[in-house]
Amino acid sequence: MSMLTKRPSLGLWIGLLLLGMGIGIAGVVNVLINGHAHAYNVTREIPWGILIATYVFLVVSSTGLCLVSSLGHVFGMKQFEFIGKRAIILAILTLLCGFGAIGMELNHPIRMGIYAILSPNFASAIWWMGTLYGIYLMFLCAEFYFLMKGMHKGAFTMGVLGFTAAVSAHSNLGAVFGLLEARPFWHGSFLPIYFIVSALVSGGALVSMIVYFNHKQTGQPMPQQIASFMDILGRLQILFLMTLVFFVVWKIIPGVYGQPPEKYEATMALLSGPYAFNFWFFEVLMGLAIPLGILFFKKTRTPYGVMMAGLCSTIGIFFMRYDLVITGQLVSMREDTAQLIGGLLQYTPSATEYAIVVGSICTCLFLYTLAERLLPLSSDEH
Amino acid sequence: MKNKRFAIVLDTDRCIDCKACTVACKAENNVPLGPDNYRNWVVTGKLRGKYPNLGQSYLPSQCQHCSNAPCEHVCPTKATTINPDGIVHVDDAKCIGCKYCQTACPYNARYYNEETEAIDKCTFCTQRIYAVPSQLPACVETCPTKVRAFGDLNDPESEVSLLLARNPSKVLKPALGTNPHLFYLD
Repeated sequence: MSMLTKRPSLGLWIGLLLLGMGIGIAGVVNVLINGHAHAYNVTREIPWGILIATYVFLVVSSTGLCLVSSLGHVFGMKQFEFIGKRAIILAILTLLCGFGAIGMELNHPIRMGIYAILSPNFASAIWWMGTLYGIYLMFLCAEFYFLMKGMHKGAFTMGVLGFTAAVSAHSNLGAVFGLLEARPFWHGSFLPIYFIVSALVSGGALVSMIVYFNHKQTGQPMPQQIASFMDILGRLQILFLMTLVFFVVWKIIPGVYGQPPEKYEATMALLSGPYAFNFWFFEVLMGLAIPLGILFFKKTRTPYGVMMAGLCSTIGIFFMRYDLVITGQLVSMREDTAQLIGGLLQYTPSATEYAIVVGSICTCLFLYTLAERLLPLSSDEH
Repeated sequence: MKNKRFAIVLDTDRCIDCKACTVACKAENNVPLGPDNYRNWVVTGKLRGKYPNLGQSYLPSQCQHCSNAPCEHVCPTKATTINPDGIVHVDDAKCIGCKYCQTACPYNARYYNEETEAIDKCTFCTQRIYAVPSQLPACVETCPTKVRAFGDLNDPESEVSLLLARNPSKVLKPALGTNPHLFYLD
């Protein structure tokens, strides 16, 4: 504990994470004792709640980290090589914590393990998603092993395989939503592509935070190499964010043009309905506009600025996931909407659901903090 | 023996919104209490016209037993299958509770049953229709105004076949191509 007493900020950080994990455990215990129906606010009509959104957020983060880190050890961009180990270990941890969140949403995670193998349905996007993410996890672990051992050839091979698995698994996650013809807000080929693009933003944002805070905790002035990396990452993030803006615009326009049934109501829930604050404040302002504002100008594109832009994007992206999952289910499948407020169904997460969200994110950060302490993650420490 | 193709034909003009079908179904199939737990339901139509010339219709419904069923396509563990007689069936032991079928069903016919620990929905009362001697599904038998008729579409002399031969009918959300087997007489 001497390390903690010397650095009160680290002690505070770990304390907060332990508190968050404790809250998460309390939520899990409540579910195990009282059952899903009593602990969660999901309903017959909105069966997927904030835990699914959190799962999506965490696995998008994992994919993004894998894609951005592959710029270094797969695509040979030298400046990106030094983030490899950190990005891959965090990709593994975000994926595992994502599995934890969806595991708590599933009523029977153990049955899943059994019947996904004994009775697979190859026509099911969820079956493919689970299988591909499983394969992706294996490649990530192998890649991390080779990186830690300094075996560059093995790391390259696993990096290529991991990149392929990441793109396959993650576009498949988009397909989980995109293949539902009954849900016009989700249906179509848009989401599989959109998920990949938004993963790049997530990955870039998280990498900016990893690099910044890892340097910050050394207490040393920032070396030129890291400062210039942050600048390059900032410029790259402009490209990723602008692409995402393009996708957001082209999600919204077909949703309102000609008022297509069901898609229109869901889109309007975002633009001016119950999810308008989430959309305009968190998704647009915090997730896109502020980060772009910071990154556009050389004066604000400092290492601190790039990190802040990443933090804002990450918060905004969490709301993008939540809004995407929930608004897709807001329109009733039946026509008796007279009893509904504003013609839409309603969902507010329960305290238990919030607790598990906090717990899964804090667990992820805690494990990453541990990894930083226990593993030689700097590039020169093979 | 040739397979059957079970179906229900509904004459909604006869529905008086008494919800006896929902109550009978709950009792017959041990559907748990709670507002989200039901296998069939009655949609209250919009009030038509202006006082004193008013009208209102009701739309009783349940699982449509689609032959191109989205729930069957999406189930990751094949817990949902279609039996040879066209009944969409859930194997409780294989259900992992991912609720993908709930999001895929365009009719909101499914709910999670905490007692059976699996997704639950209308089965056309298999325990009754396959009994010897066979009985009608509970919702069909209990209806005081005989809204529903149940039978085998592969038998051209069955009540459902005759009703569909003699009357124009429609299905819900035909554009989705699910090919439902609940038919509504015009």
